[in-house]
Amino acid sequence: MGAISYLLRKTIKNEIIDTLRHPLKFLLYAFVAVSMLYGAIRGYTAGGDLGSSEIWSDPRLLSGAYLAVFFFISIPVLLKGLSSGTSFFSLSDVNNMFVAPVSPKRVLIYGVGRQLATMLVLVVTFAAYGGMIIKMFSMTVEQTVILILGIVLMLVMVQLVTLMIFCLASTHPVRASVMKYIIYAMAFSALGTVIIYSFVKGISVENLFAAISLPALEYIPFIGWMHGLVFGILEADIIKMIVFGSLTLLCAVFSVLTLVLTRLDFYEDVLSQAESYQEFREAVREGKFSDKVMLGNKEIKLRKRGVRRGKGATAIFHKHLLEGSRRSRFMFFNINTFVLLFVGFVITFGIKQAKPGIEPTIIYLAAMVILAYVQFFFSASGDWVKELTKPYIYLIPDGAVKKLVMAAATGLIKPYTDGIITFGLLAFAAGGQPIDIIVSMFTYGSFGTLYIAANILAQRLVGVDSTGGIFITFYISMIVMTALPGIIAGLVVLSGFAGQFGYIATTLLGGPMFLWNLIVSAGIFLACRNLLNNTE
Amino acid sequence: MLNVSHLTKKYHRFVANDNLSFMVNDGETAVLAGPNGAGKSTAIKCIAGLLRFEGEIELCGFNNKSTDAKKILGYVPEIPAPYELLTVWEHMEFIARAYSLENWEDRADELMRRLELTDKRDKLGKELSKGMQQKISICCAMLINPRVILFDEPLVGLDPHAIKELKAMLSELKAKGTTIIISTHMLESVEDIWDRVFIMMNGRIEAERTRKFVEESGENLEELFFSITEKNNSDNKE
Repeated sequence: MGAISYLLRKTIKNEIIDTLRHPLKFLLYAFVAVSMLYGAIRGYTAGGDLGSSEIWSDPRLLSGAYLAVFFFISIPVLLKGLSSGTSFFSLSDVNNMFVAPVSPKRVLIYGVGRQLATMLVLVVTFAAYGGMIIKMFSMTVEQTVILILGIVLMLVMVQLVTLMIFCLASTHPVRASVMKYIIYAMAFSALGTVIIYSFVKGISVENLFAAISLPALEYIPFIGWMHGLVFGILEADIIKMIVFGSLTLLCAVFSVLTLVLTRLDFYEDVLSQAESYQEFREAVREGKFSDKVMLGNKEIKLRKRGVRRGKGATAIFHKHLLEGSRRSRFMFFNINTFVLLFVGFVITFGIKQAKPGIEPTIIYLAAMVILAYVQFFFSASGDWVKELTKPYIYLIPDGAVKKLVMAAATGLIKPYTDGIITFGLLAFAAGGQPIDIIVSMFTYGSFGTLYIAANILAQRLVGVDSTGGIFITFYISMIVMTALPGIIAGLVVLSGFAGQFGYIATTLLGGPMFLWNLIVSAGIFLACRNLLNNTE
Repeated sequence: MLNVSHLTKKYHRFVANDNLSFMVNDGETAVLAGPNGAGKSTAIKCIAGLLRFEGEIELCGFNNKSTDAKKILGYVPEIPAPYELLTVWEHMEFIARAYSLENWEDRADELMRRLELTDKRDKLGKELSKGMQQKISICCAMLINPRVILFDEPLVGLDPHAIKELKAMLSELKAKGTTIIISTHMLESVEDIWDRVFIMMNGRIEAERTRKFVEESGENLEELFFSITEKNNSDNKE
């Protein structure tokens, strides 16, 4: 292990030195660490709880949510590990360590170890949210620590099981195929059980809670077992602890034995994975999510051929439509829309359950604010950001504002489509005034416009080729600064006219925000037209 | 015609282009030659309007950042950057639309035929090799019938047939009066097509020669190139 431990020591040391040599990077890390620490301490120590409402204090919700987290952690890693080995290695590992006279098993253990170390960051993040869990679910600190440790253990288990699957299936296509179906079956059996149970018993929050906490779900291999073990400890249920603890231990022992006893030859599989991972990392680091990176070798059927429409700058928009149709059949209806719908319905049913008979406008208001926040995470990259990385947009002989608007057009349309679909469907569940629904749709959409405008402003201020951390900091600052006047105006109108026009709080708050978002965005587009004057 | 006047490009304290002034006439092929890091690509990107700079650059009398200049400028970047989700043919169509070209199809067909892209017509950008991607860049730049065209290391990654065809295309462009600027560090790759050469070192033009002058004086261009670049290297070491 001499070479590997040397590599690890040097990597850690140099990373620390590099951070200290870059004050901005150091400050950024320090800021994030202090914020998380403050949040955690405040969460763990502050009094009061959110769990006063019936819905949050229901332990079944925690059980279901915890199982969902386990599935989100495991299934993608398992599928990825199955299809292309592991993502534990960088291209430098491949180029330097794989050709060195070091045992493949040691190399693999090094990869897993390093992966676990990076996951510690995730654990720290979960720990920071521990305070929130305590408040929301009225839990003790000890129970929260058990939940977090459960996630740590789960992360280890996922890596072990991934290695086991990889060892067993990497050189056997049939086995790999069978494994893939087993992983899908695990995911769909859980989802199917919840859906079928909810439909059979009747759709209600009560039945949904019963479905997500069904004991049967704990028998799903290793994901359910881990859940059973953690909740066995939480509930002090000795039988559960023994049964699921034994199953988990067996699974871990079997995984390790498989790793030790199998003749490993994973270098070839890892090579291509490492190359594409390297490309992906570079892209993420530079904020360039190229289609090649994101889509990999996915086969694309050319249903529609040709850009067909557009002249000058509008050709960019029509090109984006064509590209979008190739990425997905439903360009403006994708996984983000489903996430928004899911969050929207959780908010709606949650509020209705907690406060029966509440005015629908409050539901729209809460959904509008929360979904506008969620939308931020979808808005980091769009077609227009990718366009800036290629020379064509700078060379096309057309007006700069027109080129900027046309390049951003698909990104501008998407939030409005999402808003119309999400709030349109929420209207069936929440009822309420049509004006509130329409304002929710368009205020949500206008935040998409504002996010793009803030992104453009940040690009203009710090440069298109700036590094990720600095850019994100600026970007978030720009969002806060540009959105704040609209939010203040909305609050002023809401406090001034509340009750005068019936119960339309969403309209009173959202209307001014919508108008402001559009005005400030238009101003930014005009002011930043010089963004396309050069690539810097 | 290309007119570069007092072009200076700085990256913080590093001067990539230091007060460059030169002119390339209609129908002339100029070569920006120099070793790696001499400032050739930076100058090309400044002319293409991709970078900020001090000084003035005019293409056929238009400021290089103006829409009029963009209409007549073709640019082949050093690193090809096709759209991963557009087919080869759709790249042609996109450029035709973006530049509002009329009756471009035959010309696109011809360019693709000459660079052996016809059978790749329906291949997506992401499915092509680096060399093929470079050919797309060349076709896109040529499609607009530019009056000024910039090539940044155009022969890197091309197969022998494409190199031969590209040189033939350059001759045709030259005959039509197009101003051609090529950046390269391999003088021998352009020895049969250049009219004017600028030898760059450390961001400056250290020598300018015309073919006529070299032929009449019997000066060896390669020797001149190395005398400049190696002298500067030894000066820097001292």
